[in-house]
Amino acid sequence: MVDFLTALFNFWQGFWGVPKTSLAEALPWMDILWAFVYLIGAFVLWAVNVIILIWLERRVAGFFSERVGPNRVGPLGLLQPINDAIKILSKESVIPQAADKFIYMAAPLLIMTISVTMYGLLPYGPGIRPISLNVGILFFLAVSSTTTIAVLMAGWGSNNKYSLLGGMRTVAQIISYEIPMALSIIGIVMLSGSLDLGAITDAQKNLWNIVLQPIAFVIFVISAQAELTRSPFDMTEAEQEFVAGYHTEYMGMRFALFFMAEYANLFAMAALGVILFLGGSNGPFLPGWIWFILKTYAFIMFLLWIRWTLLRIRVNRMMMLNWKVLIPISLVNLLLTGVGIKLWQYFTEGRV
Amino acid sequence: MFGLGILKGMGITLKRFWMPKITERYPEVMPDLPQRSKGSFTFNVDTCTSCELCSMACPNGVIKVEWHKDEAGKKRLDRYRMNLGHCLFCGLCVEACPTKPQTTIAFQGDFELGCWMKQDIYRNWTKEYPAAPAGVSASQPDATQAAPKGE
Repeated sequence: MVDFLTALFNFWQGFWGVPKTSLAEALPWMDILWAFVYLIGAFVLWAVNVIILIWLERRVAGFFSERVGPNRVGPLGLLQPINDAIKILSKESVIPQAADKFIYMAAPLLIMTISVTMYGLLPYGPGIRPISLNVGILFFLAVSSTTTIAVLMAGWGSNNKYSLLGGMRTVAQIISYEIPMALSIIGIVMLSGSLDLGAITDAQKNLWNIVLQPIAFVIFVISAQAELTRSPFDMTEAEQEFVAGYHTEYMGMRFALFFMAEYANLFAMAALGVILFLGGSNGPFLPGWIWFILKTYAFIMFLLWIRWTLLRIRVNRMMMLNWKVLIPISLVNLLLTGVGIKLWQYFTEGRV
Repeated sequence: MFGLGILKGMGITLKRFWMPKITERYPEVMPDLPQRSKGSFTFNVDTCTSCELCSMACPNGVIKVEWHKDEAGKKRLDRYRMNLGHCLFCGLCVEACPTKPQTTIAFQGDFELGCWMKQDIYRNWTKEYPAAPAGVSASQPDATQAAPKGE
């Protein structure tokens, strides 16, 4: 018990910038216990971020179009997401008769599981990491592209033409944009010499990667927007073409899970961008996790700004942008990064 | 340059973000409407000549004018009654009114016309005459009528 309390104390000390403990230092019987604590922590962070982001998205959308946004429920409309949640919980959740019931019901659970898993991988500050993986970035990309399967399950299981088309488009889009995204990240991995997200953060103590890799940052922003299927790449939910894409047949809490997972993924993707390009939790004066949250929300505001400015582009142009523009540019960027690293090593350390 | 349009668009939305919002915060902040915007009506009982041109111009039969003739055979207004439940707010009555420039029936900016009771939807204006000599009193408007509304 004393060990547990000590470990808990050390864990909370991590929030004030003192790295103390991780899973590797814990006692064997505590592994399972800690796994639960981390799971609950990741889930709480997930839920809180979803609530904040739904409010922020609607408010910012209003501000960008000279409206006020939600302002009736609570101060500044802050309680609006809770109001929505109560409304959506009280709704009936009908399963369509023609649906493939198991797949139909499994898809929202799967998409939520995936987005909570992504929260477990991020280093929120020095010493605050639920899961410390040495192939963190690889695992993050692998998990985030699993979203495709959940979306296709939803599209297929609904047995509806709109859902299926939306699901198919999502698969085509997300898988295509995985490639420029991974290629833009490889440059960062080459610079920091590690796939570990914590090591990538530590490598940016003096200089943020955005200075060294500006082209990769632009490619990352574009492909992140496409991965999140947000405007200008929101063909998967294009209201004018098919009602709501893959979640047309969903209602009640099952729809809410898709909706919340979308916003949760927005935070996860922005956090990844902050870790890779904007120095992660590095910053003066304030504790690391405050810097991390501040930077992530600034990055989210940037993504929202893009979303509420640009219009949806045509499907073939979206694919053309990916295969004919982004992938060649990111490959050239990779080549230049390699040459640059070798030149730097030659001139500073005298070796090739 | 490629992508310049995106930057321009993002500049526009950023400017919009900080601009004052055009949303009307209606119940808390009343909108500042022009004097003669098409809300409810005003009616001037003293300038009305009881010509009934407004009543004839009305496409829905909203307006009912009640009058009597005085000793000189001249029309005198008793009561002016509008059923706003049928009114289109087209303004043909205001256009038809011959008492120019300030028409007897005119628009005013007051737009909160909702009411709970059906009888509240009527607008009545009654002209009160000074006590007349005996014999004419039969044509006087009924004193027990509802008080004029909408003024």
